[in-house]
Amino acid sequence: MANFALFLGPALVLLALFFVFPVIVDIAIAFTDMGQTLQVKEFTTKNFERMLGGDRRLSMALGLTFIYVLGTLAIFNVTFGLVLALTTTAIPDRVGSFFRAVWLLPRMSPSVVYALLWAWVVDPTERGLLNQFINGAFGFEVYDMMNDHPMMLIILANGFIGASMGMIIFTSAIRSIPEHLFFAARADGAGGLHIVWHVILPAIRWPLSFITVYQTLSLLVSFEYIWLITNGGPFFDTTVYALYVYQRAFEHGQYAYGAALALVLVVIGIAAALLMWRFMDMKRLLQQPRIEVQ
Amino acid sequence: MSFLKSIKITVLAATLALPTSFAAAEAFAEDVTIKLWARADRSGPMRAGNIVGAAETMNKMLAAAGSEIKVSVEVHENNAKGFDADALDVMKAFAADKGPDIYVAAHEWIGAFVEAGYAMNMEQHIESNPDLYSDMIPVLWESVSYKGQRYGIPQDSEIRMFFYNKEMLRKIGKSNDFIEGLPAAVEEGQFTLYDLADLAAEVVEKGAAKHGFVHRPNVGPDFQMLMASFGIELSDSATGKLKMDEAKLANFFTWLKYAVDKGALPKNMTSWSWDSVHQAFRGRESFMKFHGIWNVPKQLKIMELTEETYFKELGWLHSPAEKQGGRPANLSHPIIYVVSDKSEHKDLAAMLVALASQHVPNTKHAVSSGHTPIKFGQASMPEFVEDGWALRAGARLLPYATFMPNHAKIGPYNAIVYKGIQGVETGRLSPEDGAAFVVEELEAELGDEVIIVGGN
Repeated sequence: MANFALFLGPALVLLALFFVFPVIVDIAIAFTDMGQTLQVKEFTTKNFERMLGGDRRLSMALGLTFIYVLGTLAIFNVTFGLVLALTTTAIPDRVGSFFRAVWLLPRMSPSVVYALLWAWVVDPTERGLLNQFINGAFGFEVYDMMNDHPMMLIILANGFIGASMGMIIFTSAIRSIPEHLFFAARADGAGGLHIVWHVILPAIRWPLSFITVYQTLSLLVSFEYIWLITNGGPFFDTTVYALYVYQRAFEHGQYAYGAALALVLVVIGIAAALLMWRFMDMKRLLQQPRIEVQ
Repeated sequence: MSFLKSIKITVLAATLALPTSFAAAEAFAEDVTIKLWARADRSGPMRAGNIVGAAETMNKMLAAAGSEIKVSVEVHENNAKGFDADALDVMKAFAADKGPDIYVAAHEWIGAFVEAGYAMNMEQHIESNPDLYSDMIPVLWESVSYKGQRYGIPQDSEIRMFFYNKEMLRKIGKSNDFIEGLPAAVEEGQFTLYDLADLAAEVVEKGAAKHGFVHRPNVGPDFQMLMASFGIELSDSATGKLKMDEAKLANFFTWLKYAVDKGALPKNMTSWSWDSVHQAFRGRESFMKFHGIWNVPKQLKIMELTEETYFKELGWLHSPAEKQGGRPANLSHPIIYVVSDKSEHKDLAAMLVALASQHVPNTKHAVSSGHTPIKFGQASMPEFVEDGWALRAGARLLPYATFMPNHAKIGPYNAIVYKGIQGVETGRLSPEDGAAFVVEELEAELGDEVIIVGGN
């Protein structure tokens, strides 16, 4: 019992303080009328009635979130992260490290600086960096990504930063594959793509699953770059669910309604985690090893 | 989430001879700390500085009267994105029992603060100190009034209007009479908003400008003057509730679409950065811009203009009427001082506000930040005579000023209207759909706080 308290105690306290307690507070606030004065005058189910009946933005926000999470994951956080790991481990070590360091730069920049750079890059006037090339150097019409392809913009902005995490995890996983497997494959006449398909991908299956689950949950609740670059616009075109919750609660001062909306995010997050856990067979990852290492 | 930067400024003091409530303090030394909350705002640092200065003045008066009261002002500069975000932060501070004694706020929030019990009724204070307040420009009292009572002291006023470039009109062959007669034509209701869009489009078409007119790229009060031109009243005078006329809003949106379709207004205006908006006008790429009088100092500097050349190149217009014979409008958006009703030192805080709102300190703020005066007498002060020519010119526009309603929910109301503007300008919504969207959102978000009229 003493060991249990010693080893699990700190983790349980942290879990209770920063995960369980906030959810309980959120549930409590969701059943109140807390507005911009933070005062509670009554306990009510009005917030849930509004969510179910009166808020037409909800379904739009959920749909956009699905596209945003799937797009960022599929193009950048998993696929491009994997491509970066494969290419930077296939070239000489120093060059590979250099490119990985370059891709890590956005992650090391403060969020606001990174977002401001994007805002400058895609500024819809001739002053935007992109337009200085497109319009200034090549004479094409000014391109307004923020207005014409806002979803692409937020996927790019989040993907450029998100790909580096997959890159690091996959690189370390690829490096841990015993070298003799590569030699054996080469001796059997396998080409580069065959090695990727038959040797590397099976060996990094668990990191791939982990990154997919982790990044899905992370993207579901992330909105800071979207908020800073497009603020959910134009109109509601990039208002993903987490941003919608933030705007309702903190920009409009509807804390109770924001809390009710956030509960849905908690439920979606748990459902997504459980589904992926099941379909990716993550349970096997956590099984005890069948051989005992002396 | 914004974060606070705290600066503590201690001012030594002495005795009191002003309010009688302080007489008892003569017998013993007392340190009184007044907490001041002001948004960190580069365009108005003296809003906080004048209260600190007022404390110095008061302490000298106290000293002269032999009082041992020492007044300190603790300034919290809140790094909020705008006055709406700042007001919500003030609310949170009060809810956590850490509210200030005095705070600086955008006037339209006064209703929210009164309803929450965070704003002191200033009627008695103002009436019992006529020498300190009787020179106030009367129209400004409207901005601090809620349900017929005054709950704040205006700290500055301003005029928001259309700036237009006369040089561009000369380039496209307009006569001097036409150019110089535009303000009068607008005031007489002869030159309408549709004429304005046509003129802006003509300037673009003839190559004198890249853009017809530009506006702010985020939520803000500027659009209210356009709405006023279409006869949209934001509040119902009988009930004090917010109000929206769907049909008139559709007319406003129809005009916006007209301006976009004619090439007078960039359709992606709401995606621009502030820098691009400012640069478009100051860089002589845009014929017009609607914003505020505090733009003048930057215009003088960047466009290399002087007092003598400014009105030769640039002019100001109210927002013209929708139709011929209608009334034009502009907007004033005062920032105000509010004394907390929860303060333990309400009288002292109110007196600090009174001292900070006198001619000399307020003129320093007004001239340095490009705001119009709050008192009649300021216009003849040396600083205004020497450097305030633009502000004196702006004061002449005040008779057409409108104010935002002092309603607790004006923030969300503005945000919803802005979404509608964005939807229509970018072509995502038709004018009618835009108006329907705004009404639907207002009803969902504000419930019975808003009265909808003019629907189908």
